Amino acid sequence: MLALPQRRLVVLLAILIGGGGLAGVAESAQPDESQIAVIASNKNSLSTISTNILREIYLKKIFVNSDGRPYIPVNLPATHQLRNTFLSDLLQMDAPQLQVYWDRRYFQGISPPYVLGSQRAVVKFVAMTPGAIGYVQRCHVTPEVHVILLLPLTDSSAAGTLEKCPDATTE
Amino acid sequence: MNPVLGRIHHRIRLGPAFAIGALLLWPALAAAAGTSWQSDPYQLGEGLYFPQQGLRVGGYADFHYYGLDNYAKSFSVEDLSLFLTKDIGSRWKLFNETEISESLTFTGHDVSTSEAALEVERLYADYFASTGATFRFGKFLTPVGQWNLVHADPLVWTISRPLSTTAAFSRSATGAMIYGTRTFAHDDLDYTLYVDDTQALGFAGDSNSAYGSYGAAGKINPLTNEFEHAAGGQVLYHLHGDRLSLGASFVSYELKDPRQKYRLAGLNFDWMGPHVELSGEGVYRTADRPQIPSEYGGYLQAVVSLPDQLFLVGRYEHYRNSTPNVIDNIWTIGINYRPVPGIVLRMERDDDNHDYSGMPSGWFASIAVLF
Repeated sequence: MLALPQRRLVVLLAILIGGGGLAGVAESAQPDESQIAVIASNKNSLSTISTNILREIYLKKIFVNSDGRPYIPVNLPATHQLRNTFLSDLLQMDAPQLQVYWDRRYFQGISPPYVLGSQRAVVKFVAMTPGAIGYVQRCHVTPEVHVILLLPLTDSSAAGTLEKCPDATTE
Repeated sequence: MNPVLGRIHHRIRLGPAFAIGALLLWPALAAAAGTSWQSDPYQLGEGLYFPQQGLRVGGYADFHYYGLDNYAKSFSVEDLSLFLTKDIGSRWKLFNETEISESLTFTGHDVSTSEAALEVERLYADYFASTGATFRFGKFLTPVGQWNLVHADPLVWTISRPLSTTAAFSRSATGAMIYGTRTFAHDDLDYTLYVDDTQALGFAGDSNSAYGSYGAAGKINPLTNEFEHAAGGQVLYHLHGDRLSLGASFVSYELKDPRQKYRLAGLNFDWMGPHVELSGEGVYRTADRPQIPSEYGGYLQAVVSLPDQLFLVGRYEHYRNSTPNVIDNIWTIGINYRPVPGIVLRMERDDDNHDYSGMPSGWFASIAVLF
């Protein structure tokens, strides 16, 4: 298991290789369960997204896209290992920091992203909601959504604790 | 409202005041949700969300004890504050905070409501214009430093408030604002520009006290800082994953009473380490008449995390007032117990070198809930 600074380095490298913060969605040799797919609805014309913009969306600092359409980020539950990995890599904030951040934002009228109970629920919700953005293990992606960013699941031990991929079992 | 949102179990933190409402709402949400949408546990501190209406209701409440030197000991239901947030379409949002302050003050066997006040603390509409800019119209908190912007009792470390965060400027402004965030190499720069015309747009009954009120002791210095007009801005730079924030503020304004023009500049920082948080703010204010002395000062605060959700807090503030023309040196030491997110129990001792500027010495204690 990589330590947090090492994981951040891996993410940083992914960002740099992707070019100026744009980590592309090119095919990867990594197995599907070892990659985090950031997904959007097929009704959404968004094809890629930079990690910087994604971070701003998940911190609720950006609310609309350049066309004025709302972004609706969704989270997995606070106890979900994929959420912890995704948020710590993307936001570079630990749980106490995030608690302070959202407490302060709440006082300013801003609330954290919606929470859905499972990766399957995230895919379903994103598929039905044009502005929604979610994250799942790549093996959970269905044809109803498209991938706008791929990130490595840097905490390799997390994969073993996550929901099984659909071809292994059903949720 | 997106109909799908109606089927989400949003993460809700439940306050006691909303427990009944949540119990009434929950079966409807659960029925609408079906089995695909799994709920997240209720928790304090995020308000109660009504997805079909795009409405969130929350707030905070706190109960204070004042054991001030040279004053009668007293208890006060200090703040009962209600937040309402309403989404209007995809690009507009309304926000309101209404507060009842010092609704009940207990001194010995006496109960008083003489200091009770109902005030619209904030009332504004946000328009999300683009990725980098949001417009705000209405009454909002004046963006000077960080304490004034996040001053709710459960969200700050001490019961007493530093003079640097309140004595020299109006706590709120009424007018228009543009704000947003720019990203530079994974660091964020938040910016705010605003204009105030409280003279034309201000709410009746605004107090904007320059100093605090302390239970049975009341307002030791009744000075107010009501804006007539103001224009200002703030930048806040977040580094190292928000572990370090550096801010700068500027505002040029005219106060209502006494009628006077001022310019104020401020700096602030906040650093969060693994077990220590350091923060500080400083302001410098000059008047356009040379016979009025400059007002300046700042504080440094350290918070150390102890076992079992206990936190030790220490603060030193140096502040030169202009009305009255005195210098305060204030030491604060206290302890916070935060058993769960949203609930804070505190006790502290404040020592000022003198009391007549508005910050009395004494013991303070409080229970605060963010719901």
